[in-house]
Amino acid sequence: MWIVLIFFLVVSLLPFVWLIMNSFRTNYELETAPLGLPSRLSFENYKSAIATANLPRLFLNSVLVSVGAVLLNIAVASLASFVFARETFKGRDTILTIITAGVLIPIISFMVPYFTMITRTHLYDTLTSLILVYAAINLPVSVSLITAFMKSIPKELEEAAIIDGCGFNARFTKIILPLARSGLATSATFCFIYAWNEFVMAMLFTSSESSRTLQLGIRFFTSQFITDYTGMFAAIVLSMLPTVLLYVFLHNKIISGLTAGAVKG
Amino acid sequence: MKRHNANRYWIALYLVPIVVLFGAFFVYPLFFNIYTSFMKWKGSSEMTWNNFANYSKLFSDDTFLLAIKNNVIWALSQGFIQVPLAALIALMLAREPKGWRVMRTVYFLPNVISTVAIAMVWVALYNPQYGFINAILKLFGGEPRNWLGDPSTALAAIILTTVIYVGYFMIIILAAVMDIPKELYEAAQIDGASTLQQELRITLPMVRGTMVTCMTLAMAYGMRHFESTWLMTGGGPAYSTTTMGIMLYLKMDALRYGEASAAGIVLIVLGSVVIVAIRKIMGNKDPMAEAAQ
Amino acid sequence: MRMTKIGRGFLVAAALLFVLPFAGFAQSGEIVLKWPCIWVGKDSKAPAIAEIVDNFNKANAGKIRVEIEPSNDYNAYEQKVRTAIMAGVAPGDIFTLKLNASTKEFYSSNLLMDFSKDLTGEWKNSFDQGALQQSIIGGKLKTLPIETAVLPIWYNGDLLKKAGVSKIPQTIDELWTAMDKLKAAGIYPSSQMSGDTNAWTSMIWFSWFATSFGGPDVWDKPFTDKAFVESAKLMKRLFNDYTTPDAIGASAGVSGGHFLAGRTAIFSNGPWYAGRADLRATSFFPSIVIAPVPPAGPHKNIIISRLQANIAAGETKDKARHDAIITFLKYLTSKNNMAKLAESSGSMLAVNSGYVPTDPLQKQFYDLVGKGYQTANDLEAALGAEATLEFTQQLSALALGKITPEQFCSLVEKKIDR
Repeated sequence: MWIVLIFFLVVSLLPFVWLIMNSFRTNYELETAPLGLPSRLSFENYKSAIATANLPRLFLNSVLVSVGAVLLNIAVASLASFVFARETFKGRDTILTIITAGVLIPIISFMVPYFTMITRTHLYDTLTSLILVYAAINLPVSVSLITAFMKSIPKELEEAAIIDGCGFNARFTKIILPLARSGLATSATFCFIYAWNEFVMAMLFTSSESSRTLQLGIRFFTSQFITDYTGMFAAIVLSMLPTVLLYVFLHNKIISGLTAGAVKG
Repeated sequence: MKRHNANRYWIALYLVPIVVLFGAFFVYPLFFNIYTSFMKWKGSSEMTWNNFANYSKLFSDDTFLLAIKNNVIWALSQGFIQVPLAALIALMLAREPKGWRVMRTVYFLPNVISTVAIAMVWVALYNPQYGFINAILKLFGGEPRNWLGDPSTALAAIILTTVIYVGYFMIIILAAVMDIPKELYEAAQIDGASTLQQELRITLPMVRGTMVTCMTLAMAYGMRHFESTWLMTGGGPAYSTTTMGIMLYLKMDALRYGEASAAGIVLIVLGSVVIVAIRKIMGNKDPMAEAAQ
Repeated sequence: MRMTKIGRGFLVAAALLFVLPFAGFAQSGEIVLKWPCIWVGKDSKAPAIAEIVDNFNKANAGKIRVEIEPSNDYNAYEQKVRTAIMAGVAPGDIFTLKLNASTKEFYSSNLLMDFSKDLTGEWKNSFDQGALQQSIIGGKLKTLPIETAVLPIWYNGDLLKKAGVSKIPQTIDELWTAMDKLKAAGIYPSSQMSGDTNAWTSMIWFSWFATSFGGPDVWDKPFTDKAFVESAKLMKRLFNDYTTPDAIGASAGVSGGHFLAGRTAIFSNGPWYAGRADLRATSFFPSIVIAPVPPAGPHKNIIISRLQANIAAGETKDKARHDAIITFLKYLTSKNNMAKLAESSGSMLAVNSGYVPTDPLQKQFYDLVGKGYQTANDLEAALGAEATLEFTQQLSALALGKITPEQFCSLVEKKIDR
C-alpha cells in the first residue's frame, strides 16, 4: 500500500519542485538544461514579477472575484440542491439532468454569447462580470455534488425535525445544510480554484487594470514571440503561494472539522 | 400530502436563482450555438442560413472523426482509470494511516495550481533529449523516445498526465467514505471480516452513488477535454491528439464560427449519449440513501 | 442563520465590486481613445509606443487622450479581437491585427473604420505602396499597414567557421554541402519545428522553396502543383537529416532555444527577433548573417515578406471622435515617430521614415529589403489559418514518413478555401 501512496506523493509534488527550482534560474539555463539545478539562486525573476505587474492589486482583484463567485455559487447551488434532493415535484429529475448535463459544455463555445451578454448589460470591464460567469459555470458541478451529499442524509432526521415543528426553511438551514457541509466545502473549493486560475474569460471581459486578475498579470511575461519562461514561473509561484497556503491551512481544518462531526443513525 | 401543497411556493422560490443564472449562462448560449450552427458565420456579426452544411463538413472531415475517437478514449480513461485510482487512494487514506492528513493535502495540491503550470512541467519531463522520463528510461536500458512528437505515443502520454492526478475525485470520494458510520466497520471487525472484505462489502456499496457521480463527471471532462492537450501538443502531431474541443477552438481561430458552433453541438450530443449509456449500464441508485430511508 | 450570513456576504461583495471599477473619469469634453495594445511589457516596441502615446497625450491634453490597455498574451488578444467582432462590438477605438487570408474576413464587418477617404496626399505617400496595396481588400482600406516583416534565414557565423564553411551558401547545392559539414562537426545544421499552429520556422523554409519553384504567385496554384511537392520533399530532407531530434512537435520556443543556445547553426525568423535581449547576449551575436534561402528552383531574386501588423480603428459616427482617431494615427505614423519606433524595436515598418539603422544586424535586414527583390507572401499569410494548420499537422506525418509528399500536398489542398 505504501508504494502506491509514495508514488502518488512524488507525482503530485513534482510540478511544484520543478516550478520552484526553475523560478530561480534564468531562461538561458532553462533552455540549455531543462532539468538542471539553479547555478545560483537568482531572485531577479521574483523582483521583476512584483515590480512590473502590480501584483498586489491584481491579487486583491483575484481574491474578490474568487470569493464572490464561491459565495454566489454555493448559495444558488445549495438552494437548488435542497429542493432536488429532499423534495419531489413534477419535472424535478428533468431539470436536475439538464443542469448536471451542463458539465459537458465546452465553455469556449460560449464565448461569443457571453461577450454579447456582458457588453449589452454594461458589465464589461467589471469584476462583477467575472463573479457572475464563474459562479454560473460551476453550477453543474456544485449541484451534482451537493445534491449527492444531501441525498444521503437519513430521512429520520428530517422527519424528527418536522415533528418538532420545523418549517421548510428551517429544515434547510438547520438540518440539511449543516449535514451537507462536506459537499458544500468540496464544491466551494473547486469553485474557488476554478475562479482563481481562470484566464480566458478574465482576458475577454476586462481591459483596465482596476479589473484585472492575477492570472492576467502572470501573462505579462509573455508577449508576441517572446516568452520569459522563468519570469513566468516566478509569477506562477507567487500566485500559487496564497492558494496553496490557504488550502494547506484552512481546507484541512474545514475537512477535519466536518468529518469529525458526522453523526448518523 | 398536505406538506407538499404548502411547500410548492417555497420550492419554486428556491429554484429561481438557479433558473436565472443557469438560464442566462447555459440555456441562452446553447440555443445561440444551435442556431448559429446552421449559419454561415465568418468575419463579422452577420450570418446567412446554411442548412446542414456545417455538420456535413464536419462529419466528412477525417480529422473530426479522429477527434471523436480521441474524446471517447479520454472519457473512458478518465472514467475508468482515473476515478478507480482515486477511489483506491481514498480507501487507503480513509483508514487513516500515519501522515494521512498530509498526504491528502499533497494529493490535491496539483489541482490547486493552474493547468498551464502542470502542462509545462510535463512538456519538460517528456523532452526527448533532456527529459526526466527518458533519463530514467536510459538508466534501465530502455530506448529514449520523442513521447509528445510521435503520433503513436502522444495521446497516451498526455492522458497519463491527467489520469495520475487523482486529487480532485479523491477528495470527493474520501468525504463520502468518511461519512460512513464507523459502527458498521466495528461490527464487521467483530464478525472477523478482513480489511479487503470490509472494503468490498461495506465501503464500496455505500459510496456507489458518489462513485457514479464522479465517473459521470470524469467522463464529461473527458468528452470536452481541451486545455492540457492544447498546451502540450496543440492537437498534433498529425492530429493524433486532437479532440473535439480543440477542433472547436481551431475553427474559431480560422473565423469559421458557424462550424465551431456545430462542433460544439456535436460534442454535447455525443457526450450526453456516452454518459447516459454508461450510467444505464452502471445503474443509478444510491444505496446509502436507500439504507437510510 | 447561515443563509443570511451567506446572503449578507454576497451583498457586501457585490456592493464593493460595483464601486471598485471606477478609475479615472475623463474630463468633460476630452475624447478618450482606448487602445488594447500588444506592444507592451517585454515586447520590443513597448518603450517607443509608450513614449509616442505619452507625447501625444501631452500635446493634446484636455482634448484627446489615448489610453493603452496592456494585452500581453498575443493569442488571448487575437481571441478577444475575434470574439468582439463576431459579437458585433469593436475591440477598442484603436487596435492592431495581423492581416492575412483569414482575418481579411473582418473587412466585411462594418465595425472597422474605412480609411480610404482620410488617407490622402502626403500621408498616403509616406506609406510603402506595396504594403498599402496588400491592405486594400474589396476596394476598402480598413486597416493601415504598420509593420512588415521580411523572413530570411539566419546563420550563426561562428558555428559555420567552426565547421569549415567559409562563405554563405549562394546556391542550393552549396547549402546542402554546408549542412553536411556542420553535421560532420557535430552541430545540428538547422532549427526546424512542426508544432504550434503554424510550424513557424519550418513554414518559412517551405515558403522560400515553394516560391523559388513556382514564382511569387505560386500560392494561387493548387497545392498539388509540382512546386509544392518538390518543396515538401526538401522539407522531409531537412527534418530527417539536418535538424534536432525534437523538431517534430516542437514549438517556436524550442526552435529558437536551440539557435540561442548555439546548438543549431541556421535559423529562420523575422526582424523583431533581432531586438531580443537574450539574442544580443549570445556570444555569437556579432557573427550573425542574414540571407535569403538559396533558390531551389528556377525563380530567383525573390524574398519572403509579409504584413506583420496592421492597425485598425472602431467605426464611429461621432465626427469629433473620428477626427481624434485620425489625428492620432497621423501622429503615430509620422516620419519622426516611425523612425523612433524602428530604431528601438528592430521592427521594419511600412512607413518610409528614412530611418537607416546603425545596428549591424538591423542594417542587414534593411540592406536585404533594399536589394529590391520581388516580394512574395509566406504560406500562412497567403493561405490562412486552416490550411496552415493542416500544413503544420501533416508536416509531422511527412517527416515521420507516414505520408508521401504527394499525399501531404493533397491533404493541405483540401483545406484551402478557394
